[in-house]
Amino acid sequence: MHNIAVKSKDVTLLEILDRVLDKGVVISGDAVISVADVDLIYLGLKVLLSSVETMERLRGAPITGPMQEAT
Amino acid sequence: MRLHTYAIIDSSDQVDEPIYGLEGARVYNVPYCDMGAIVSELGAGSIQDIAEQGILAHEDVTEKLMERFTVLPVRFNTIYDGTEGVLAMMQSYYRDFRDNLDRLSNKVEFGIKVIWPSDRIRESIVNARKKSDKKTTVPTDSPNRKFMRDKFEQYRLSEELENRADKFINIMDMFFSKFAAEKKLKKLRTEDLLLDAVYLVEKDKQGDFKEAFEHIKSAHAGFKFLFSGPWPPYNFVDLTKNTDSLEDSPQRDLFDILIQDRELVGTDKI
Repeated sequence: MHNIAVKSKDVTLLEILDRVLDKGVVISGDAVISVADVDLIYLGLKVLLSSVETMERLRGAPITGPMQEAT
Repeated sequence: MRLHTYAIIDSSDQVDEPIYGLEGARVYNVPYCDMGAIVSELGAGSIQDIAEQGILAHEDVTEKLMERFTVLPVRFNTIYDGTEGVLAMMQSYYRDFRDNLDRLSNKVEFGIKVIWPSDRIRESIVNARKKSDKKTTVPTDSPNRKFMRDKFEQYRLSEELENRADKFINIMDMFFSKFAAEKKLKKLRTEDLLLDAVYLVEKDKQGDFKEAFEHIKSAHAGFKFLFSGPWPPYNFVDLTKNTDSLEDSPQRDLFDILIQDRELVGTDKI
């Protein structure tokens, strides 16, 4: 996101991750090729430790994210 | 040929503006009836190597598309083996996509997260309770009775905390909902995260919605707010997967024609 009212780039990235990796049209079926498990992509990202929504679900524990006050 | 899918859009036309996605590949529309799937071709490498960049590129593509079309963003890492795979998916989900495109037309998503000072609020509840307890005489308890009383107090404390959370959320939501078509609210995901909400807002009400947010923010000193958007409506795509929807419809015939005539389902660059 380029035009959102937050100070921290990391927080913006977390908002993106929560959407792009977990929301929207989720298709299942034979035609879909999965070349990388989405969970593994998470593990490859340092910022995942602060993801408020998805990590809570993946690990079953509440996560305190680096919430940034809006401008 | 592996195709990475970015979004379903409400147009079967190609887009004039060049847009580049994963691995710098230009994205294009795979048309199906009155809609299309935006895809780009992937190289042989593993998508894990480009995960973070790829995620940002994926989002960038959907946002650019959002400026011109109604967009159903597709989850990252949805990859098909060729155009036939994409078209089979479009056939299978056509009714769902159509319903969602109609419902989400001209609307965008906003995210609002609110952190409240739960420690301070908990403390104020405890203090208020102590004051009221002073007015009543507490008999000397046995250890068992004390244990039960402490447990009961904890229960009452968390109940009171929830009541206060409900009151705050109701007030906030009253303001936000005024300018929203749909919403999804989650209360107290963690003790500090009072509200984690997404709102679907008509494009011409964005200004009013932001104003409502500023109003609520300024009225809640000590709370922290995260406002994000406008997003493609990631949280409001609602698929029921009505897979037989095309079987008896006029669209089915059209699909067959499209499949037979590769010229029409071709992969013209945007």
